[in-house]
Amino acid sequence: MEPLYGVLDMLVLRTLLFGPQHGYAIAKSLRDGSDAAITIEFGSLYPALKRLELKGWIASKWETSEHNRRAKVYRLTPDGRKKLNQERSEWAGFVQAVARIMNPAEE
Amino acid sequence: MSMFVRRLLLLLPWRRRAAERDMQDELRSIAGMAAPGELGNLTLAAEDARAQWGWIRLEQTVQDVRYAIRTLAKAPAFTLAAVLSLAIGIGANTALFTLIDTVMWKLLPVADAEHLLTLEQQTPLGNSTGFTYQQYEIFRDSGAGLDLAASGYARVDVNIDGRDEPTLDAHLVTGRYFPVLGLHPAAGRLLDETDDRVVMGHPFAVLGYTYWQRRFAGDRAVVGRMMTIAGQPFTIVGVAPAEFFGTEVGVSPGVYLPVKMQPALIPSNGTLLENPIVYSTWLRLIGRLQPGATVPQAQTRLNALAGTAAEWRMRNKFSGQFEDARLVVHSAAAGLSDLRRQFSGPLFVLLGVSGLVLLIACANVGHLLLARAATRRSEFGLRLALGATRARVMRQVLVEGLVLACAGAAAGAILAYWAAPALVAYASAGQRSIVLNLSPDLRVLGFATAVAIAAGLLFASAPALRAAHADRSTAGRLHLGGGGRSHGDRGPGRTLVVIQVALSAVLLVAAGQFVRSLQNLYRHESSIDLDRVIVVGLEPRGSGRRSNANAAMLDRTYRDLLARVASLPGVRSASLGRSSPLGPITLGFPIVRPAGGDPVRVSGSIVYPHYFETIGIPIVKGRDFTEDDLRAGAPRAVLVNEAFVREILGGREPLGTGHGATSNNGRGWRGPQNTMAPAEPVNIVGVVKDSRFPGLRESPPPMVYQTFLQANTGFGQMVLHVRVSADASGIVPAITDLARAIDREVPMADVHTLTDEVNVALARERLVAALAGIFGLVALALISVGLYGLMAFTVSRRTGEIGIRVALGATRSSVRWLVGRQALGIVGAGLAIGIPAAWIAGRLTARQLASLLYDVTSTDPAAMAVSAVVLVAVAACASLLPAQRAVRIDPAVALRNE
Repeated sequence: MEPLYGVLDMLVLRTLLFGPQHGYAIAKSLRDGSDAAITIEFGSLYPALKRLELKGWIASKWETSEHNRRAKVYRLTPDGRKKLNQERSEWAGFVQAVARIMNPAEE
Repeated sequence: MSMFVRRLLLLLPWRRRAAERDMQDELRSIAGMAAPGELGNLTLAAEDARAQWGWIRLEQTVQDVRYAIRTLAKAPAFTLAAVLSLAIGIGANTALFTLIDTVMWKLLPVADAEHLLTLEQQTPLGNSTGFTYQQYEIFRDSGAGLDLAASGYARVDVNIDGRDEPTLDAHLVTGRYFPVLGLHPAAGRLLDETDDRVVMGHPFAVLGYTYWQRRFAGDRAVVGRMMTIAGQPFTIVGVAPAEFFGTEVGVSPGVYLPVKMQPALIPSNGTLLENPIVYSTWLRLIGRLQPGATVPQAQTRLNALAGTAAEWRMRNKFSGQFEDARLVVHSAAAGLSDLRRQFSGPLFVLLGVSGLVLLIACANVGHLLLARAATRRSEFGLRLALGATRARVMRQVLVEGLVLACAGAAAGAILAYWAAPALVAYASAGQRSIVLNLSPDLRVLGFATAVAIAAGLLFASAPALRAAHADRSTAGRLHLGGGGRSHGDRGPGRTLVVIQVALSAVLLVAAGQFVRSLQNLYRHESSIDLDRVIVVGLEPRGSGRRSNANAAMLDRTYRDLLARVASLPGVRSASLGRSSPLGPITLGFPIVRPAGGDPVRVSGSIVYPHYFETIGIPIVKGRDFTEDDLRAGAPRAVLVNEAFVREILGGREPLGTGHGATSNNGRGWRGPQNTMAPAEPVNIVGVVKDSRFPGLRESPPPMVYQTFLQANTGFGQMVLHVRVSADASGIVPAITDLARAIDREVPMADVHTLTDEVNVALARERLVAALAGIFGLVALALISVGLYGLMAFTVSRRTGEIGIRVALGATRSSVRWLVGRQALGIVGAGLAIGIPAAWIAGRLTARQLASLLYDVTSTDPAAMAVSAVVLVAVAACASLLPAQRAVRIDPAVALRNE
């Protein structure tokens, strides 16, 4: 399953909430975090990273890992944190609304 | 840093390269971490990531613009025709808009201009006048909620360091003038209340900025220097600010002087400042509203004051003219202007006419684009087949249109930049030069841009729609003869030409009316040789203060001059009149009709013998003045015009002593009288023909002509009229020398011919007629191109059909008729729309045009007939060549191609 349009941004921001990660790590944690229920192609993720960086919600820096490997590491900016909170509440509202329509009997 | 700025920075090539390198590094490092194939197509990911930095829309638009420029450059003839059409249309509109902007809307460069207002007096006849100094004082002290200032105009002799300089336009201003306007000096100080106390006590001058730059090269040391103005020494105390051209649009004063110096600057019967008998309305009033006050409030308050103040009327001392005058208050934010009064109407009419030209030009370009679109169908089809969206193809055609419009607008702006001053020069021919600040401002630029964009969208919309409907299946297919064959293809092109014809009809009818009314205005008995009458204004010493004491001396000066001028070789006759035939009537007399009753006001003038002969008005009855009538103590004799006989005498026999000499019994009429002389009967010795000089729209009022010594007036200035036999120019210097030789105290007015005066009087009409005529010709040129294009296109499209007709035995004339009939059909359809449209437009604008038309109605049938004939003739000419080509079609060749 591909994530809904716009949801990808939110998922990436959420992933970075626990600390800076490089691109491959983000891809992996997205796949592992959803138990592979959601497939996010790297071809979609990577442009999303560039877009979020342009928007100023994430920032990147080259770092050398413990294995002495150079990798570009992304971290959440204060603007990104704000954006994530906003997206999260919007998402919750959306999920509730969908749930009300899908399961009217439970109300 | 916003996303916009980041993207903007990525447009810089080195930043873009660095980002690209960085991305490649990152992707390599990520690929090193992942299993092979795990991440999919990394090149595509990079491609999509790159798109995030990009300006897809903008880049596409830039591409479109580049492509449009390339395709347009490949069709230079088409591009040139289109850009030229648009340049004329947009240029004409922009030039007129520049003038309108300057004359109507440019704000005075003063503080808080929107609170400025101006006062004028409107007589019941609709004339508006300025104010006397006494009136100004009353209003100033009235407490009507206005901070009031006044300014008057004078032309002054200037002498600096003992050398005579060219005469200058001077503004005589009151102390509040500069403070009310809120101006700050460019150097030194401006005039204020301290320069407005004692008559003749403030010999201080403020220079106009342009004059300061021109004469003194902007030298600040000029402050404190002396200059002699009208024979009086003045100290230069400052310079007015640069952007200030005076409060009057179109006039740029060289120097500002205190109003209290008037007696030296404007000679008159005593001083205009103190003498309550003098009624010259020489001042313009400008004031600033108190905070919170409105224009209507101020108007009501001032009118109440004017209507009730008995003192105002008494001090006005000119009962009969101003009793019923009404005070009108206008906003003065854009300055005071006779120019605006005179030209605002015509300029808007012309803007309408040039708008029509632009529409016709747009139709022409639209038509050209359509023809091109037809030949480019295969290209559009190909692009659609290759996956371009219809919107993208449409956008490309629209962009092409906008590129054309921009090129047209740029060329048009250059045209306007050159044309606007030329228009001003044409309109001011023969007058004191009009100084306008024509520098284009934001309003003008906005106007030109808006016009260009609107024009571009207008003419490109039809081709764009058609391009979008190009058929994918036509991709790459060749179209011989340039276009599709379906019947519907003829539609838009034909419709556009029909619209063009209709617009041209409206334009030509309008132009025809203006030209015809100008011809009507020029029609006059003596107008054939008006250029042989030389006119020189004379103001000998003392003429501004004529009195019983110096009248004889002035008369001697005049008769002496006349004798000298008359003896010059080449002079047919010479005389003097109070004013030229086109000049204002400045004298008036109350006269009692033969039937009795209240006195009525009759216009009057003062003339010397041979005046009527000189200006070309015949004497229909009786005789001219003779030398005998000029003697002091001669019996009172006057000439009158036919209108006088008709309206005042009720058609009675005017001549002889019957009325005049025996009139004291109350049955006759009493002649010119005024407060100084008792009523006295006069003798009418002659009657002159009513003469409507060109430029004077009204039929002449009843007139009484008197001799110089018998007229009782404070004005002693006269105008020399000389009729010369041959070409006037050779004799002008001799006449000028003689006129200059008389003893005078004010600069001599220029020497010109009556034709010049007519041209000045008809400046508005000439401007409108000339421009409307030019626009009409441009429209005809555009339409012949349009028609020719359409007919040529049709003939090439119908080559096969015509070939068959010829093969079946059609004659040459029937082939010709085939083509001609279509052209006539188009013109007929255009006229069927255009002539009624012109009629309706004429009806709707009748009121606005009334002041510009003379002896022509705004729905003139002759103008309509002529326009129709001209358009049919143009259609015939435009279809001549295509028809010839049709005749030459070889049926064998045509059918083979088929």
